[in-house]
Amino acid sequence: MSTATSTPSTSLAELRRHGAVRPKMAGFHRPRASTLAACAFVAPLVVYLVVFYAFPLMQNVAMSLQRYDRGTFVNGGAPFVGLDIYREILGQPKFWRVVGQTATFTIVSITVQYVVGLALAVFFQNSFRLSATLRAMFLVPWLLPVIVSGTTWQWMMNPDNGVLNSLVGLFGVDPVWWLNADHALMSVIIANIWLGIPFNLVILYSGLQNIPTELYEAAAIDGAGAWRRFWSVTVPLLRPVSLITLLLGLVYTLKVVDIIWIMTMGTGTSQTLATWSYAMAFGKGTSGVIKYSEASVVGTILLVVALIFGLVYIAVQRKQED
Amino acid sequence: MRNMSPRRAATIGMVFAAATSLAACSGGSAPEPTSSGNAAEGATTSEITFWDPYPQRADGSEWDKLVKSCAPAGATLVRSSAPQSDLFNQLTTAVKEGNAPDIVVLDNPMMPEAVSAGLLATAQQASIDTNGIDENLLGPGLVDGVAYGVPFGSNALGLYYNKDVLSKAGVDPASVTDWDSLNAAIEKVVASGAKGITFSGVAGEEGVFQFLPWFWGAGADLSDIGSAEAVSAGQLVSDWIGKGWAPRSAATDNQSASWDLFLTGEYGFAENGSWFASAAAETKGFTTAVLPIPGKDSAVAPVPTGGEFAVAPIQGTDDSNHYANASAVISCLTSGDVAVTTNETLGYLSAKPDVRGQQVADNPLWKPWVGAIEGAKGRTTELGPKYVDVSAALSEAIQGALNAAGDGVDVSAAFKDAAVN
Amino acid sequence: MTRTWWKAPLAIVLTAVMLFPVYWMVNVSFTRRESIRKGQLFPFDFTTAHYQVVLSQQMPYLLTSLVVGLGTVALTLAIAAPAGYGLAKLSVPGARFLNFALIVGQMIPAVVMSLGFYAIYNRIGLLNTIPGLILADSTIAVPFAVMLFTAFMRGIPRELIQAAQLDGASSWRTFRSVALPISRNSAITVALFAFLWAWSDFLFASTLNREGGSLRPITMGIYNYIGAQNQEWGPMMATAVVASIPTALLLVLAQKYVAAGVTAGAVKD
Repeated sequence: MSTATSTPSTSLAELRRHGAVRPKMAGFHRPRASTLAACAFVAPLVVYLVVFYAFPLMQNVAMSLQRYDRGTFVNGGAPFVGLDIYREILGQPKFWRVVGQTATFTIVSITVQYVVGLALAVFFQNSFRLSATLRAMFLVPWLLPVIVSGTTWQWMMNPDNGVLNSLVGLFGVDPVWWLNADHALMSVIIANIWLGIPFNLVILYSGLQNIPTELYEAAAIDGAGAWRRFWSVTVPLLRPVSLITLLLGLVYTLKVVDIIWIMTMGTGTSQTLATWSYAMAFGKGTSGVIKYSEASVVGTILLVVALIFGLVYIAVQRKQED
Repeated sequence: MRNMSPRRAATIGMVFAAATSLAACSGGSAPEPTSSGNAAEGATTSEITFWDPYPQRADGSEWDKLVKSCAPAGATLVRSSAPQSDLFNQLTTAVKEGNAPDIVVLDNPMMPEAVSAGLLATAQQASIDTNGIDENLLGPGLVDGVAYGVPFGSNALGLYYNKDVLSKAGVDPASVTDWDSLNAAIEKVVASGAKGITFSGVAGEEGVFQFLPWFWGAGADLSDIGSAEAVSAGQLVSDWIGKGWAPRSAATDNQSASWDLFLTGEYGFAENGSWFASAAAETKGFTTAVLPIPGKDSAVAPVPTGGEFAVAPIQGTDDSNHYANASAVISCLTSGDVAVTTNETLGYLSAKPDVRGQQVADNPLWKPWVGAIEGAKGRTTELGPKYVDVSAALSEAIQGALNAAGDGVDVSAAFKDAAVN
Repeated sequence: MTRTWWKAPLAIVLTAVMLFPVYWMVNVSFTRRESIRKGQLFPFDFTTAHYQVVLSQQMPYLLTSLVVGLGTVALTLAIAAPAGYGLAKLSVPGARFLNFALIVGQMIPAVVMSLGFYAIYNRIGLLNTIPGLILADSTIAVPFAVMLFTAFMRGIPRELIQAAQLDGASSWRTFRSVALPISRNSAITVALFAFLWAWSDFLFASTLNREGGSLRPITMGIYNYIGAQNQEWGPMMATAVVASIPTALLLVLAQKYVAAGVTAGAVKD
């Protein structure tokens, strides 16, 4: 480095010694112009977020505080009722049943998707013949329009001549009425897991690629078996990636509507907060009545739940950084 | 949060302010829909928008060409389609934002709700002629005695049967004259190795539509869906599922899916609509015919009126011109020879008896359906906008009954619970 | 390594299980309508009629989907890459809040967003346009893309950035010449996700582009086969197969980069 560039660092070090400048995390004091530049870099994003996310969000919350029907939606004049609709929704026994179903749907989906995704990622970790192509083919479920994959699953789960019942029949199990009221939840979970495996596989696989092979070799030299290596090397180093995968998986799963809708229209036990909100917002499903306000309420509650998990994630992430 | 400098707080504040002001903006500046305007005072414009619920009739199809040919000289007609419930929602948003299309084709049970939400202009405002239309078919579009649109025609439900399967089972179709004889016939069909009956019990209006002939055939009334008659209708379909006479997928099959099942040739009976009449005549591997749906103790049960209404939505600006557009296109589609073509293309029987007569004379395929259409009952005629809630409750009851698979206690409970809500 | 000879066959079995529903789709697409509900494992009642229908009707929609997909990729990269760099390397006021907002943004149900968009688009005249759809579809990808870029660019060694800056480069120059080339793998990953999400979007297309005619994407073109009382599953499945081919090709080509791109540190490259 030339003498010209060494001068700033020297004075910076002097300033630090005299305690005039406290070291920031980056350890580098940024002048004003750079902050402006930083703002310029994120400005498009901020405008984008405000217009496309904040605005619909405000509108949604506003709708949940007024009592709308189709007429007042079109012509205005919906009365402001504050938290009344929230009280009504929370007071229905149906609400708590749906919350339970949503929790089951989400937790089971994410857990199985993650475990299967991780198992597959580890399986593909050391490449073998055809591994690249096969791994790419695992992503094909992602490409299909959900209406097609949803309908296909619905047919495969046909109680009378579906292929799934033929399969379980091979193991001596009686045919299951997959899509009736009681089993609907289990059926949509299975289809949703199938849909979610590619996402988990991609992210976890790349996370695995970042773990230096030297660590595995060192552990092997120390006499650790494959299972031990997995627990002591892979799992800890994969933690940040796992966290983000689980969080995003949670957020996306909470929002899932289409796969459930196409298979069962949210009937029986497959009704989740997201499908309920969707049904009420558009008058679909059993009821053709549009309940804009109730849909906004359920949508907002869903958002709050997701938000809580978001905060948990940030807290865990902060603990990791410290 | 740490490091919350005043500058940071100001940025966040600005973001919220911007968002809230945008949200506030959305409320006020849309043009208010008005109820003024009259077709007679307006002139047609150069571009006419037409919405219908037939996305399968794509550009270049018969229907598409017919509609576009009804544009007045010098005007272009832009047609787009969406499935029915989506269409209704899109119409709602469009009227709210002041850019509704000129003509919409709306499913008949949605009419009272559309009217009470202030979405539609009256037939008089849009100069739509309602003369000569059968009362029972015009009924759903009449709210407080005022007409809001006109139906092209109607479809109806009937009981298709597979002639080959029935003759192999030794069943005489003419013997099906009430529920008991129907059940006996299905039993014989199943005993001969075939499958029984397909129908659609999907959640929502479609399933209710299919259930109503049994509901009304039992003597039940939409004002009391928990009555003993209603429960007996539910028990009928539930037993079919329980005995394996109907596929369990009926709880999630829509009418098209249940028709696909009938097309496999494995089923004896199919409850489905007149829109499949020509497809039924062309089945591969077996021949079909159609019976009226029997009532509990009578040969013919009332079926719900099918089909859609052509309506003119309320406009924000230039209403008279838009209504003139509507008037021109709708009167073109519903008068003279074009009326016959309209109905033949859509697969409906006309709502006007004289046109209907001509259709039947031209095409004997329609003969079995005339009785059903003339006896059809409107779903919303008595209940008006309250129908939507009743339909929702009835749909829950039907789903409960189908899931119960014959269990009498559960079926009864399903209907009683639905009636309470 | 001979130790893992069993991996390839096992992988084939696993892939086959995973893709069985796709096989079912292809099966149906070659089956005649009357046999579709028979549940046969193989298209015994074979027909290519559905494909003929699709190839004659759906090509304009496929083209639109392609344009929208590529446009979404371009827009997403344009917004997310600089933002990721800013959040990772430059101290942005309110960075924590912005990160939080990105997570929250992904939680908003699409239903809520599409209704809000309709109101905005109606005012500024973006309804039924391709740029409007590109803008809407990018909202699915942008928050995820920013998170990805931020995570990746954090790993770029400070020395590289400092070297460029001490050579007199502005922040933008540094971004363009140093950060971007290194982030190629992340960019490709983002591009893949953005393209796939835009390709399969239905909600925004149906709300914001309903009158676009042939300027609608394939997810809506498929609805030509869904009528009020009659749905044609054969052509629908055939459409899905035809629509999946370009994206499948894309996947195979891009997966090499995706593997390394999602969270790799620049050092690895």
